[in-house]
Amino acid sequence: MSWETVIGLEIHVQLDTNSKIFSGASTSYGSEQNTNTSLIDLGYPGVLPVLNKDAVMMAIKFGLAIDAEISRRSIFARKNYFYPDLPKGYQISQYELPIVQGGSLEIKLNDGTRKVIGITRAHLEEDAGKSIHDKFNNETAIDLNRAGTPLLEIVSEPDIRSAEEASSYMQKIHQLVRYLKISDGNMQEGSFRCDANVSVRPSGQAEFGTRAEVKNINSFRFVENAINYEVERQIDRLENGNDIIQETRLYDPDKDETRPMRSKEEANDYRYFPDPDLLPLEIDQKTIDKIQKSLPELFEKKVIRYTDDLKIKQNDAEEIAKNMQIAEYFEATLNHFNNNPQLVTNWILSEVIGVLNRENMEINAFQIEPMQLASLLSRIEDNTISSKIAKNLFNQMLTSNETVDQMIKQQGLEQITDEGSINEYVAEVLNEFSDQKDQYLAGKEQVLGFLVGQVMKRSQGKANPKLVNELIINQIKK
Amino acid sequence: MKRHTVKELQNMIAEQSISSEEIYQLYLNRIKAMNDSINAFISIESDEISPSSEQESSEIKGIPYALKDIFCSEGDKTTCGSKMLANFVSPYDATVVKNLREKGTVILGKTNMDEFAMGSSNETSFYGNVHNPWDKERTPGGSSGGSAAAVAAGMAPIALGTDTGGSIRQPAALTGITGLKPTYGRCSRFGMIAFASSLDQAGILSISAEDAAIFLEHMAGYDQKDSTSSTEEVPKYTDFLNNDLTGKVVGLPMEFFDGSLDSKYQGLVSESIHAYEKMGVQFKDISLPNIKYSVPTYYVVAPAECSSNLARYDGVRFGHRSTENTDLDSFYKQTRKEGFGPEVKRRIITGTYVLSAGYYDAYYLKAQKVRQLINQDFLNAFEEVDVIMGPTTQQSAFKLGDKMDDPVSMYMNDIYTISSNLSGVPAISHPIGFVDNLPFGMQVIAPHFMEHDLLNIVHQYQMATDWHLQTPALCREFD
Amino acid sequence: MTIEKSDIEHLCGLSKLNLDEEEQSLFLNQMQSILKMIKELEEVDTEDIIPMAHPLQMSQRLREDEVTEFNERNKYQKNTNSSEDGFYKVPKVID
Repeated sequence: MSWETVIGLEIHVQLDTNSKIFSGASTSYGSEQNTNTSLIDLGYPGVLPVLNKDAVMMAIKFGLAIDAEISRRSIFARKNYFYPDLPKGYQISQYELPIVQGGSLEIKLNDGTRKVIGITRAHLEEDAGKSIHDKFNNETAIDLNRAGTPLLEIVSEPDIRSAEEASSYMQKIHQLVRYLKISDGNMQEGSFRCDANVSVRPSGQAEFGTRAEVKNINSFRFVENAINYEVERQIDRLENGNDIIQETRLYDPDKDETRPMRSKEEANDYRYFPDPDLLPLEIDQKTIDKIQKSLPELFEKKVIRYTDDLKIKQNDAEEIAKNMQIAEYFEATLNHFNNNPQLVTNWILSEVIGVLNRENMEINAFQIEPMQLASLLSRIEDNTISSKIAKNLFNQMLTSNETVDQMIKQQGLEQITDEGSINEYVAEVLNEFSDQKDQYLAGKEQVLGFLVGQVMKRSQGKANPKLVNELIINQIKK
Repeated sequence: MKRHTVKELQNMIAEQSISSEEIYQLYLNRIKAMNDSINAFISIESDEISPSSEQESSEIKGIPYALKDIFCSEGDKTTCGSKMLANFVSPYDATVVKNLREKGTVILGKTNMDEFAMGSSNETSFYGNVHNPWDKERTPGGSSGGSAAAVAAGMAPIALGTDTGGSIRQPAALTGITGLKPTYGRCSRFGMIAFASSLDQAGILSISAEDAAIFLEHMAGYDQKDSTSSTEEVPKYTDFLNNDLTGKVVGLPMEFFDGSLDSKYQGLVSESIHAYEKMGVQFKDISLPNIKYSVPTYYVVAPAECSSNLARYDGVRFGHRSTENTDLDSFYKQTRKEGFGPEVKRRIITGTYVLSAGYYDAYYLKAQKVRQLINQDFLNAFEEVDVIMGPTTQQSAFKLGDKMDDPVSMYMNDIYTISSNLSGVPAISHPIGFVDNLPFGMQVIAPHFMEHDLLNIVHQYQMATDWHLQTPALCREFD
Repeated sequence: MTIEKSDIEHLCGLSKLNLDEEEQSLFLNQMQSILKMIKELEEVDTEDIIPMAHPLQMSQRLREDEVTEFNERNKYQKNTNSSEDGFYKVPKVID
């Protein structure tokens, strides 16, 4: 029996607003428990919600970026259930008329093929607080700092057919929300959470199988693992003649398995109804147009521009563009030095990212400003210094405030380009290493590298390697 | 003992014949003397009269008032008539309270009310029944029973209440005072403990329409903390009080005058109509064809909203908390069992039912559609008439305990008042006479945001008659 | 549209209310009459009628994204006896 996997992903993205979706309390992460809670977030008697403008704008931004329809009129609804991290006993969400409807995203798979994944809807809602079970002995501790943080819930169509596709889609959404600057997408901090609805059906069957919802997926790798486990579990059950129970399951990354969630076992009737404390949200064309104009250049277009206009290699362009902040750094560097975009690309991909990885930091914290990098690279380009010297200077620039030119002058690092001086070194080397000279003449061309190295050494790395190369050959041939 | 109106107190303060401190003390003394037998107040304040320069020019500076215990007042116990909030001290002021505070008024105390505003007789309060000053064996109506009794008995010159289905107007009618429910959205709901969010509105119980006009000016207005509050400008209501009523057209809905009102009450209504006619008002028969569905509509919408609004009372962050600790589910259930009275539980269950899967369309959605029709009836009627009049209640104050066994019979008390809440239109009740020594009231309903018309009309009536100035015999005992 | 005892139990579960046997029976009867009253709504022709969710013809106001509320934890937690270390506490939940 061959099986087809059907997956739909629900991704909750915390929007990067300063204040909460319905109150003026701060959304800052990591504050001491219950210090970012206003009476509204605490669900006190008599309080009322007022909608955060930026949360709405961010939702619209997202909708436009996925070519979805922005609802000109959308409604907030109450989702009613009891849980200690849900202070009002209901969550304000959107049900029948969400702010974003329809839309799609193209994903690229490992084998290079592309696929379009449909997005059913995206809606605004408030986040719940946090329950901490291991703080007290017989009690659960509740921290409501997170309660009221704005969330955008993005629901995909059940178009995903493999764990790999799921991971790719999840990564694409992640990239997009960071590109749009509507979320920092930090999975460790809970700004980006993914639930997967997984079911299987015999290949060729039109009807969907019963699905299980898998929660607690907070990395791209885990989404693949969780789905793989779940698919295997379901196929196993079905092949043994058992049914799939429609339930919510928790992914355990340590054991790499999914298991049923106890507290959600009882089927909940959420009794959705329009929230009478909030009026219909109306969005006019003017607002939509304004936001459309403010959309940043997205990944695909950026890559095309890099390859077509800047003539950068395809793979490199994708590497740079995939992280919005790195792309911004790259473009800022080009603002100061645009003679050789590929050179800039190479340096960012190897040297800069090397430092970021080593120090486990984001580009925002990187010590070398784009302008400084630009001046360093322009000195390579104009032959003032060699690549090797530049790398040395690069490392110094991580801690030094001096300009590139200051350092070159102070340390006497200018490349030696006058033939007279180089020829002197060359003569010395050819004298000392006459064996190698003979070997070269005998046809062993690779020995040239050794000779070049020796000249470089004598010149303390300052001689222009290309010239050295030329002049050695000249002298030998004489 | 004289029941001073706010207008009289203003004059006395202006003439300096009495100070605000003395006025405050006068009422406090009355409350202390009378509250045991009336039980109008749950808590009695000793508010500070703190003068400030902002208040210097305020017309209501120094005027004390009674505040229904549904309004959060900072630093005060705010119980909503319920055991669930018996220990709740509010950390903030409701916006209407803040507005009045800024104008230099002072709170005399928090008045008794039906638990969570659910009731029409003030018999569901955790703090005991309120007694009608006209006959202590009878109810003052509800849910703003405490506020009504306080004003009727002279324990406060004026009081704030809330009206979701008639909870200001009905008790006003049963206690012989004036009760105003403004347009939905006229006054902020921020800090007013929610019962049914799309129906609740803060309002005034007073001796006269003039007093209501004075206070409404300062209470009303847009509040950015309440998304459902209106940006409609607040007029100076007192400017309209003396407009001539000649040519005003009043609609009398046939559905309100279908013969079901007992003749002795009908007699009072007819007399009022004559009094208005003498002032130049013209009466016209109209129809509000869907009005008979207001009670069932209300009893779907209100419980639905309240079942959700009351979910926050779970013992975790404030309010009553059960000592039951075995597991979360039992903890919630026990806390809410202990904290809520039977009427509240009944409405929560009803509300949960009408919203539940499979029933939403048949009940809630259906009710909201019928609501639209009821609203349309009002809009149509107001094309032909300026205001609508009719009885406020079907009878005068009933005896305590009479209706407690039959909720539906209790619900029918609201038959004339509920439709205004469903539509959001403003309405006012004023006394029009007595039957068997018990007061009876008539209601005037106006289009949205036409409170000035209501206050004008009733003020003119109150200039020509003196029903509103009649005081219960009980007041004479406390001199 | 008739309501049964099991319905009452289910509704109690959803709304976290505990009713004892006597209350359940009483409620059942009362609910029957309330539902009978509500049933009248079926008579009304509401085809093509838009549900009225709000008396106001306004749309939702948007609030500027500014932090306007600050830490008042101590003040607010005075309203409960069950807080520790700044956390609220409930009987242990097993997930």
